[in-house]
Amino acid sequence: MPETAPRGSATNAAAEVRRDSRWRRLRRLPITLYLGGLLVFLFVFVALLSFVWTPYPPNHLNLRNRLAGPGTPGFLLGTDRAGRDVVTELMLGARNSLYVSVVSTVVAMVLGSAIGLAIAGSHRVAQGPLTRLVDAGLALPGILIALVLAAKLGAGNTTATLAIIAWQVPVAARVTIGPARQVLALDFVEAAYGYGRRKPYVMVRHVLPNISPLLIVLGSVMFAAAILIEAALAFLGVGVQPPTSSWGRFLNETQSLLEAAPYLMFFPGLAIVLTALGFNLLGDGLRTVLDPQQARSGLA
Amino acid sequence: MIRHTLRSLATLLFAALIGSIVVFVLVHMLGGDVVTVLLGREAAPKDVQFMRQKLGIDRPLVVQYLHWLRGVATGDLGTSYGMGYDIFHEIVRRMGPTLILTLGGLLISIPLSLVLGTYSAINAKKVRGGIVDVVAQVGISIPAFWAGLLLVLVFGVRLGWLPTGGYVPFSDDPLGSIRSMILPVMALSLGVTAVFTRYVRTAMIDVMNEDFIRSAMARGRTRRGAALVHGVRNASIPLVTVAALQFGQLIAGAVVIENVFVLPGIGRLIVTATLGREVIVVQSLALVIMLIVLVLNFLVDIAYGFLDPRIRDKEAANA
Repeated sequence: MPETAPRGSATNAAAEVRRDSRWRRLRRLPITLYLGGLLVFLFVFVALLSFVWTPYPPNHLNLRNRLAGPGTPGFLLGTDRAGRDVVTELMLGARNSLYVSVVSTVVAMVLGSAIGLAIAGSHRVAQGPLTRLVDAGLALPGILIALVLAAKLGAGNTTATLAIIAWQVPVAARVTIGPARQVLALDFVEAAYGYGRRKPYVMVRHVLPNISPLLIVLGSVMFAAAILIEAALAFLGVGVQPPTSSWGRFLNETQSLLEAAPYLMFFPGLAIVLTALGFNLLGDGLRTVLDPQQARSGLA
Repeated sequence: MIRHTLRSLATLLFAALIGSIVVFVLVHMLGGDVVTVLLGREAAPKDVQFMRQKLGIDRPLVVQYLHWLRGVATGDLGTSYGMGYDIFHEIVRRMGPTLILTLGGLLISIPLSLVLGTYSAINAKKVRGGIVDVVAQVGISIPAFWAGLLLVLVFGVRLGWLPTGGYVPFSDDPLGSIRSMILPVMALSLGVTAVFTRYVRTAMIDVMNEDFIRSAMARGRTRRGAALVHGVRNASIPLVTVAALQFGQLIAGAVVIENVFVLPGIGRLIVTATLGREVIVVQSLALVIMLIVLVLNFLVDIAYGFLDPRIRDKEAANA
């Protein structure tokens, strides 16, 4: 880089080049990463903020101001039919969304990748049927499991979380199997065995770190899916129950107000879309950075 | 080809068996007693015992499971306790709207996504190709039920062009029937189209790097011509698999959409039964829907063998 090169002492120049390249590297990161990261940060921030501050206390009914329009003094986005402040409701909805998606994604990732690793490391004869088993799990529409669970256990956050886990475990397992098998075929794995390492050790210390970029990307996309599913279940009435706030249930309540207060449905809907989009973009950006080969060939 | 078909059939049966066991185990192993739900907590022990006998849940689990499977095969699934309908006939009766909805969704989203995805892939390095991809990303993030509500608001409430919900059987009023399905089908196809478009784009970008595209261009085809004549056909093979995997997604979308538009289909039935805690109805419905998805997957698998000669050749070579 002749333009930025020697000026002053040699160490100074070196530092400048280093700073310059770091800046360049940051700028070369995909824009989706920044955009997705920003949306995800906003979502998490709002959800956490709701624990310490909301414009009104949770479930505070402003009975004089029911269905107040956006911009009414004291109610930035207006109030719903029961007089609850929309901003407060959205913040509490973000909290519930975050809670369900964190729990379900973490559990599904850990279980799913463990199953995937176990299958990849299993005996060659067992691999075919076991992979088929995972495929059968993939073909099962997850919403059915959610509804069966809800019929048995009753609606609620626990049901929704369990359903999302059941839905995502086969996905995580299926995505893990292929790459894990590729890593297992590499020379250094052979070397580790030669060194006397046992299979579980090789799996955790060698295979897992090598497929972790893929798992990080998958985790981000699974977060987006979890948020959409939570909203759908709450919308159908089989997710979280009153008085806990949820974007999906909020949307359900606005359905009967399409004539009286059509603007109400925009807020929870936009919240869902922006959050899911944030995680999807983040996953896309992370894939470009962490897993260039996959990103170029696309499918993952 | 026969080998391929037989193997697909084996997979279908295997998956159906696993799926039915999963549903059955979920229903019977988890806490919560069906009888308590039906009779309430204060029911007399004698009534509880009678109900358990009547429902057949006092028998061993394996017997119950086999009895249920026989019911599915012979069309005898019992009656709903809450509503009193015959479960099997109710499922058959409700199949219509769901099939129209899902098939209509596929009919729109497959051609549309082929066009959009190919366009995006040919222009992958230009801004206009990127825009299609970003729009698809947004489309994936829109929940189907919100799309449905937006469509109702614009076309139903504001413009008043189309009904906001409800279902008209085709035999009663063909035009009204079509009108009642336009918005639901649109809402359902939005997300599916977005997902497909991204897959088409990826598959097409891959195919465009193949040697035969370069050869075609060397023989005088334009880039676009090569893509349309050779690219789409080759890219559509992996797409068939993706489409099959999306059937489950499509059904899930249909369940939600039917509830937005109050369509009397399978999806509405299963949600109503769920909210009424009718475990037996939900269990059978879940299995029936799963079987539909699996049979569709099976058909796609067979079609795949016809579409791609390489699969047949590989098997001939192995045999």
